[in-house]
Amino acid sequence: MTKQEKTKAETASRRSASQWAVAWRRFKRNRAGVAGLIMVSALVFIAIFHNLLALYPARPDPKAFTPFYKGDTAKPPSANYPFGTSAIGTDVFSDVIHGSVYAIYVGVLVTVITMGLAIVVGAIAGYFGKWVDNILMRITEIFLVFPSLLLILVFVRIFSISAGGGSWQFLGITVPPGLTIVIFILGVFNWASNARMVRGEFLRVREMEFVQAEKALGASNWRIIFRHVLPNILSSIIVVATLTIAYAILLEAAVSFLGFGDPNTITWGQILQENFSEMRTVWWAEFFPGLAILFSVFGFNLLGDGLSDALNPRLRE
Amino acid sequence: MSLIRYIARRLLYMVPLLLGISIISFITMYAAGDPITIITMGKPTITEAQRQAIRIYYGLDKPVPVQYLNWLVNILKGDFGKSFTYGGQPVRLLIEQWFWPTVELQLISILLAVALSIPIGIMSAKNQYSKRDITVTSIALFGVSMPTFWLGVILIIAFSYNLGWLPSAGAVGAPYLWPLFGIENPTLDHLAHLILPVTVLTYVSLAQNVRLVRANMLEVLRSDYILAARASGLSERLVIYKHALRNSITPVITYLGLSLGAVVGGAPMTEYVFNWPGLGRRFVDAAMNLDFPLIMGITMIITIMTLVANLIVDISYAFIDPRIRVE
Amino acid sequence: MSENILEVEGLKTHFYTEAGVVLAVDGVSFNVRKGETLGLVGESGSGKTVTALSVLRLVPRPGRIVEGKIRFQGEDLLAKTEEEMRDIRGDKIAIIFQDPTSSLNPVYTVESQLADVINTHQKSSKEGVRGKIAELFQFVEIPEPEARMREYPHQFSGGMKQRVAVARALACEPVLLFADEPTTNLDVTIQAQVLDLMKDLKTKLGMSMVMITHDMGIIADITSRVVVLYAGRVCEIAPTPVLYERLRHPYTEALLAAVPRIDKRKKLAIIPRNIPNLISPPSGCRFHPRCPYAKDVCKERVPELEEVEPGHSVACHEWRNLSLNGVG
Repeated sequence: MTKQEKTKAETASRRSASQWAVAWRRFKRNRAGVAGLIMVSALVFIAIFHNLLALYPARPDPKAFTPFYKGDTAKPPSANYPFGTSAIGTDVFSDVIHGSVYAIYVGVLVTVITMGLAIVVGAIAGYFGKWVDNILMRITEIFLVFPSLLLILVFVRIFSISAGGGSWQFLGITVPPGLTIVIFILGVFNWASNARMVRGEFLRVREMEFVQAEKALGASNWRIIFRHVLPNILSSIIVVATLTIAYAILLEAAVSFLGFGDPNTITWGQILQENFSEMRTVWWAEFFPGLAILFSVFGFNLLGDGLSDALNPRLRE
Repeated sequence: MSLIRYIARRLLYMVPLLLGISIISFITMYAAGDPITIITMGKPTITEAQRQAIRIYYGLDKPVPVQYLNWLVNILKGDFGKSFTYGGQPVRLLIEQWFWPTVELQLISILLAVALSIPIGIMSAKNQYSKRDITVTSIALFGVSMPTFWLGVILIIAFSYNLGWLPSAGAVGAPYLWPLFGIENPTLDHLAHLILPVTVLTYVSLAQNVRLVRANMLEVLRSDYILAARASGLSERLVIYKHALRNSITPVITYLGLSLGAVVGGAPMTEYVFNWPGLGRRFVDAAMNLDFPLIMGITMIITIMTLVANLIVDISYAFIDPRIRVE
Repeated sequence: MSENILEVEGLKTHFYTEAGVVLAVDGVSFNVRKGETLGLVGESGSGKTVTALSVLRLVPRPGRIVEGKIRFQGEDLLAKTEEEMRDIRGDKIAIIFQDPTSSLNPVYTVESQLADVINTHQKSSKEGVRGKIAELFQFVEIPEPEARMREYPHQFSGGMKQRVAVARALACEPVLLFADEPTTNLDVTIQAQVLDLMKDLKTKLGMSMVMITHDMGIIADITSRVVVLYAGRVCEIAPTPVLYERLRHPYTEALLAAVPRIDKRKKLAIIPRNIPNLISPPSGCRFHPRCPYAKDVCKERVPELEEVEPGHSVACHEWRNLSLNGVG
């Protein structure tokens, strides 16, 4: 074997040094991150099999109100009703199980919108710089200065009323209109801080030598952005996206809790809203859905922190 | 450049920002079309003539840019318009009534949170990976993942309904209820009402801050100048509280600044849960009722205060880190 | 022979990381004589800095001194309490780091930082301290000391910053100074100035100095004795001229061959392959995978330090059989 072949063989036999493989090994060692991954997987599992896991079907199916018809409204947790029954006569356990679907729907969709906007704006600002950057950053600043929760409430209200009821069709799937409005507004109001982060990352990578080299070779701007810069930023984007999912779930819960959510979509926040006035007597209906929110958000936060450690190693000791 | 020029430059720069914000605030009213139409959608019996009458009363019949200018000019004069609800009272009056309860609640919580987070964050960073540190970080992460309103609800259920130690709602309670909690005078009454909401707000704020302080402290403690300080034989106290602290304090300042700015608009959730008579709670109502003059007035106030807070934060940076003054 | 001010025997400092145990320093022994300038030379990762930090007992987590003896002025440093070590640091033993920008705290004036050191070890009035600092600045040849004291680190150039760092290290007139690559981050023209300054100061103060570097040129210029380190172990110890002329370790030969020379025409020699992985280092002699003279025994047994001539020892199984090229 020539010296070259020998070296190549040795390199190959050494553990794979690809960025992702290394990151995965690091991640596995981070117990908190792994715990987060397990929690998130549990959530996804529950959402996929929600119809099998719940005791009663989801609303608006009238069978969801079986406890009501049996006279079991507002009963504390028992063998029949692990989380008790709500003030309006539904099984809290089933409500929570079914709500997981909405949690994921909201979390993921809001994050897609937010990150999409953030990446586009951040990339353009960070890459092209100068006056483009200036204008975009001023716009971002304006969004950051506004009290977002308050404005979200106003916009949700405005659009909920004007859009009315009915159902929407999107790519052949029926989506709940009220909730989708909430999602869009959440997405639109959240992009600003993420855009700043993306822009920062672009600025950092843009100055790296290999980008200069590509430019010298005559690569077009778009090619540089997509093929060279973005892959390097991917790890930061993944981390921020995970944390955004957590944040989105919290926000939606807040919006629904305050009564601005869609009364037809029983998200966890919506359950909390329904039972708020009765919380004195039906405390379990306030406790368990909140616990579900806490569990999911905590899981995503742990996962995000774990990913951050694994993908962006600092001198961790 | 001197601090003065830095401040002047930032102030000048705030003007176009404020203008942009005022425009956006105003436009929210028209975000989904004519506001009066939207507000009255729930009333099928209303006629267009009646709608128009309402519009004229509130000055909404004029072309939009004119409306905006009128509104802006009035704001500068201190007139925030009349509320759609609350019997048409002037928005400014209403805001003034609700302003202080919110500020009180927020100020106490923020200051408590910042004061506590610094020593806790430092202790956590100094003993990284110790049992103490892990406990602190877990509780902090918990706090950041928790829906604040849920915490409020849980506390109410536990301490108010079940244990009966503390009142559950409002800022003050009716005197005939005082004996229930062992209260003897209005101050104690108010204090009793403050405890639960402040606990909620402080905990969440604390959680966030502790994470910030700890993360920054950890990074600073790894730097060469800290090693050099230790290598010079400086006491641990000097190393941490003089050399490390000043370098790690920037995120706390940021948070303090932003929180103070958000003081006026913050905590709608907590105020809602505890039925606290502050701006947050009332804004939620205003949003529900689409009381636009009120909405826009509160938004402007909040935003202005946030901008001012940002400015103060930036100035503090320049004060703390001399390198920034050079820019 | 003058006495030893520092004696290091069998020092082992390991880092317990997530990826494994890094054997950064794995059996290092050497002495520093009073008043001498000892060179500590090796590639990056050879353990030079960790050795210095071990003496000061400032090894950062997850590192730990696992084994060995460290005697300073006859006292066992490893037996001292943290408080006792703090008395020694900055006062009797000082260190200068490679990057002056990062080793000075950016948010305080240089006066404040030097005052900290002085006040920690000596009782003095405020004016006394200020006077001392001005004196120190003059000592390290910083012009306009009173004015510049009150400035911040970022207002100094690289070379000036390093002088400030030197001033800080010498503030309490230590007997032993570790200089960890003090000129590596400086412009070439400034390097010479700073080195000359250090030579000068050392003589004036009668200090012992350990010059940590990878640059054989600096070794030739400033040191009287050299310790060659490779992958956490000592390869060779010799007086400087002896090392250059009568070296006995293949690694030393490779180091010297890698220095570009104006007067001799030869291809720039590269030491093949890479520095070893310190988590699972090569067995036996750590240099054997890169050594052109390696034999089987080199893979199997760790070479001990053997005396070649008085004052000159080498850790190599083959040293008697090799005739290596020195730099005449």
